[in-house]
Amino acid sequence: MGNKQTIFTDEQLDAYQDCTFFTRKEILRLHGRYHELAPHLVPMDYTNEPDVKVPLSLIVNMPELKENPFRDRIVESFSEDGLGNLSFNDFVDMFSVLSEMAPRELKAIYAFKIYDFNVDNYICKEDLEKTLNKLTKEELTPEEVNLVCEKAIEEADLDGDSKLSFADFENMISRAPDFLRRPSFLLDIYKLHSWASLP
Amino acid sequence: MSVERETSSLTRPLTSSKRHKSVRNSSRKIYTPYQDNPVSSDDEDKDAELVGSNDPEEMFQNIQYQKEIIANIRTKPWPIRRKLKVLKQAREIVLKYEGRLTRTRGYQAAGADLLKKLSRVLYNILVLFVPWEMRIKKIESHFGSGVASYFIFLRWLFGINIVLTIMTGAFIVLPEGYLQYSVLFYGYYGNVRKIGRAGYRLPLAYFLVGMAVFAYSFITLLRKMAKNSRLSLSSASSENYTFCWRIFCAWDYLIGNPEAAESKGAAIVNNIREAIVEEQEKKKETSLAVLISLRILANILVLLSLAGSIYIIYFVVDRSQKLEQQKAELTLWEKNEVSVVVSLITMIAPSAFELVAQLELYHPRTSLRFQLARVLVLYLGNLYSLIIALLDKVNSMSSDIPGNWSDSTSYLATISQHVGSNLSTIVPEITEGRNSTFTMVVIDLNHTTINVKHHFVSGQSAPVFNAMNQTIPFGKKQQDQCWETYVGQEMLKLSIIDMIFTVASILLIDFIRGLVVRYLSDCCCWDLESKFPEYGEFKIAENVLHLIYNQGMIWMGAFFSPCLPAFNVLKLIGLMYLRSWAVLTCNVPHQQVFRASRSNNFYLAMLLFMLFLCMLPTIFAIVRYRPSQHCGPFSGQEKIYDIISETIEKDFPAWFSKVMSYITSPVVVLPALLLLFMLIYYLQSIARSLKFTNNQLRMQLQTERTDDKKKVFKLAAARLQPPEGAEPKPEQESDITSMESPARSASPPRRNGSVNKILSPGRHSNSIHTIAQSASRSDDRSPSILLRPKPSSAYRVFSSPFVPQKEIRRVEHQAYSGRSKSYHHMAYNPSVRFSESVHSDPVFRKSLRPMHTEPGIVTAQSYLGRRPHTTRYVILNEHEPRKKIMRSTVRLPRQYRVVDEPAEIVELYPRNVKCYIPRSQQPHLSEEEEEDETNDNGKKGSLGHTHRPKSLSDLHQRSPARFYIGETLDSRLARRVYGEEEDDDYLEWEEEGPRNRSRTSIKVTETPQRHGEPYIKPKNRRKGEPSLTESDSASLESSSDQQNSSTDQYIQVIHNKEKYLKHNTKMTKKKSKTSAELNMTGPKDLVCSNV
Repeated sequence: MGNKQTIFTDEQLDAYQDCTFFTRKEILRLHGRYHELAPHLVPMDYTNEPDVKVPLSLIVNMPELKENPFRDRIVESFSEDGLGNLSFNDFVDMFSVLSEMAPRELKAIYAFKIYDFNVDNYICKEDLEKTLNKLTKEELTPEEVNLVCEKAIEEADLDGDSKLSFADFENMISRAPDFLRRPSFLLDIYKLHSWASLP
Repeated sequence: MSVERETSSLTRPLTSSKRHKSVRNSSRKIYTPYQDNPVSSDDEDKDAELVGSNDPEEMFQNIQYQKEIIANIRTKPWPIRRKLKVLKQAREIVLKYEGRLTRTRGYQAAGADLLKKLSRVLYNILVLFVPWEMRIKKIESHFGSGVASYFIFLRWLFGINIVLTIMTGAFIVLPEGYLQYSVLFYGYYGNVRKIGRAGYRLPLAYFLVGMAVFAYSFITLLRKMAKNSRLSLSSASSENYTFCWRIFCAWDYLIGNPEAAESKGAAIVNNIREAIVEEQEKKKETSLAVLISLRILANILVLLSLAGSIYIIYFVVDRSQKLEQQKAELTLWEKNEVSVVVSLITMIAPSAFELVAQLELYHPRTSLRFQLARVLVLYLGNLYSLIIALLDKVNSMSSDIPGNWSDSTSYLATISQHVGSNLSTIVPEITEGRNSTFTMVVIDLNHTTINVKHHFVSGQSAPVFNAMNQTIPFGKKQQDQCWETYVGQEMLKLSIIDMIFTVASILLIDFIRGLVVRYLSDCCCWDLESKFPEYGEFKIAENVLHLIYNQGMIWMGAFFSPCLPAFNVLKLIGLMYLRSWAVLTCNVPHQQVFRASRSNNFYLAMLLFMLFLCMLPTIFAIVRYRPSQHCGPFSGQEKIYDIISETIEKDFPAWFSKVMSYITSPVVVLPALLLLFMLIYYLQSIARSLKFTNNQLRMQLQTERTDDKKKVFKLAAARLQPPEGAEPKPEQESDITSMESPARSASPPRRNGSVNKILSPGRHSNSIHTIAQSASRSDDRSPSILLRPKPSSAYRVFSSPFVPQKEIRRVEHQAYSGRSKSYHHMAYNPSVRFSESVHSDPVFRKSLRPMHTEPGIVTAQSYLGRRPHTTRYVILNEHEPRKKIMRSTVRLPRQYRVVDEPAEIVELYPRNVKCYIPRSQQPHLSEEEEEDETNDNGKKGSLGHTHRPKSLSDLHQRSPARFYIGETLDSRLARRVYGEEEDDDYLEWEEEGPRNRSRTSIKVTETPQRHGEPYIKPKNRRKGEPSLTESDSASLESSSDQQNSSTDQYIQVIHNKEKYLKHNTKMTKKKSKTSAELNMTGPKDLVCSNV
């Protein structure tokens, strides 16, 4: 980064590049975005890996996530503490998984986590109800929600335990027709533009 | 059936994990993501130590391994901190040991590194050059990928047109020289065979390029389609997760704009309601009389309007022709009447169709499909009627041409006229006539009138100039001379007017409307934004169709107007900017995103269709009509394609034309055609068989998923079923299996590599094949499995000579203990040992050889002697999976539920079994030990046997310590969920045990509350079943077992505690939501009682 202030060492950048789907420039931009979230909190110098975390409430307001009904869950799933406080590492990780470059399998794993609201490794009916309500902004009547949840479980639950395991989920997702399988329907928030074009 | 379901819950992770090997391989640890584990790094260090060995090969392997880790680390679902750590370690190892390797390897590695870096850089650069990437992504981020797909399609078309432009530009336009308006059209181009010193053969080039345009378009389209279909390969599944997809795949994660988000939310609600309604309507059929008559009416209306539009176009063309003949001067309207009318129709008719479609009351998706089909037909009809009318006119023109015109060697340069522009060109042309006379043709073009001075060469020897001053109407004479130009002009006009209309409609319908809605909604008595005018919707499907139509026009006119693609490029650029602007400023996304709009192949198929249909008229014109005699590159020729034969004749060596004449003779052509047909047939049959195989594999996968559970369930049924009871079933089965057998024997190899073809000679008889196998599984003792037809009684036991005595005795023990209990209890008796033996059988099946029959018979008999006491059996029926597959083709998604019906229980047999037990590795335990173990297992509620290595070889590698004997179901499942059970030693396993256990214990505390929850609703799929009282459920387990209970052949069905618990929960009518937790809490007491 030449005459500018050093944000990361080259090794750090290389490591990030290997661990994520981003290029060097993108990682630096991501840092910029992260810094913007909490300028007073996040240092510009990351060479000594400061232990800084940005709370969920700030991250959720990013334009990429703002409209997403599952934004809280997304951020929580990627946080180490499960509460949504993201360190820069988590932040990069999140966007890496959400980027269009990430393979579907990886996305499916995180999608499952996101939809698993109560973190019990199953998507149970409650999770489904929550998902539905978030998705539809509670416009469906409780009966409808109930019906849809039951139907959904019935469809995808191959082992008959009335809840969806990851295998069920993954199987269901993998069978979705092409147009649904396009990554954007499965966690693909992160397009380069959305942050590249922002100030 | 809950038994079966339960088991499957255990087996499914395995199968699914197979499919996602790549992730899973690397992700054994995913479930412990948030605690960075010191143990794991220790393990890491051990790894590093390993590298210390000095064997270069080993070292190299290790380095490769580490590099692989580095390369793939980004796809691993670990938290990034772990990734970074692992990466660092891997790198250190590589750095540390790489130097010790030989030089060449070092260079290789360096080269690979360099290559990798280069490709990274190249990729970064390439991305920059994709046009409109940012714009499209911006749209995508606002409106979701549906709308963006339109723009991506547009960009793709743009690319095609660029190539077409380059083709025509490089080979036709530029060689000819100056860029003038007239280069737009056919008539401009001379027929001089060679241009310049290099001898550029323009006419030939013209013809070849014209053909190449089509060829290129075809090839690109087909390639794109092939690529797309390859991508969507697996999506062809007939399974339908309507509701799930609507929940989990509904949100478009790219949406970042509140309005789009809102409308997406509304769309999702609609969608879900729609699904609900659909679901409800499946049952009831409304009276159709009114509906049918309405639909017939609608179709009649549509047909009428189609016919009307075609008639109007034809009429307009006809009228314009008459006008041209009658009037000397045409007004602007008269000149452009045809294209305006066509454009108007293409604009208005789709909306009319939409109105009509409301009559039909179709499901929105269906109606959209209808709409698209109708619009496509309309567009095609328009283009076709236009071109036919034009060609018709051409026909009449060529018949009008006076004889002397064609005879004379005079040259007439045609000037093509661009719409609304006045050209004044003087084209001096020097033509070589028959007698080397020169003809000057001077054409003055003023407005629409031209003065043509025809200088006819008359006479043979002396150059005589006959000057004829003629003032003729442009249309009449000029175009008579050059119909190709005329057609080209019409197409260009059409394209231009279409563009004007598009722009106008965007401005009027979208922009003005948007303005009105936004700014006038305050001063209006109703809500403009949500009621009447609303904002314009971006109709993806219609717009894409319009693009296709536009491209069709280009293809149709490209031959006659070489610059049309270039024009289209400009048009597309303009459209891109205008559309994207309009979308971003004044549109809302379509409420119902048509599904096909996302599968590009649908559009591509339409485009291909369009291309084909647009090519036809051109080809027809080329073949059928005589080129204009006085203009264009083919003047003076009988047919346009003569240029090829002429070139071959004159410019190629004699042998070549000879060869060509042979090749084009029927002697070659007919067999070639035949060959082609045969090839097509062959390829098609291959495709069909591949499809079949594909289907089969998918079924197999499906079966695998539910395999273990079914198997155990089967065992349960078989165990409790009397021999008599079994008889009716084989009967049903025999007919199916007999016809299935060939297919089955051809079934693809199992995953573990060894194919077992278990062909039973007695398949036709109603037999159930019983397999008994020893639990021992060491390699040298080849296990034997025998499939024997048993015409009379269903259960027979065969055993291998290697069966250790204690094994049998253990079985006996189990059987006795089972018998000693009450019947129901038996069903739930969780004899772990037993279920283990059940699970182990696949091992043997794998190594099964048909040759084993010999010893088998012997042992069978000896075994039979002991029959009263020895009875444990795994029944494998190889036929069943086939049957199941067949059935499942009909009802795939629910196939596993078929098992619900008791009658079928016995028939369903697993086919690909993948569960092996760790236990089978310790065949030499003493009886007491075994019992102890059983107890242990029981007490722990262990599901250790559910851990299944993937293959036999896996089994060998695994040490027993690896199995999670002491762990809870929850943790194990969790681990499997995230693909942790892998065989690479990269990270440590054991450390997870305690943590998971602790988690479980937390859950256990929750359980009571869950227990207390009221039973809300039985699952639908169980509707048909009797209420689940204790006895009922027991009998469900084993339909005809009551009779059977008198015999002493029992098979312990119960696979594990979990099932038992499951039943419990059901019986108590508790929500089984938390069955995993329940399983954990329950086992202890239950198991104790059993033991």
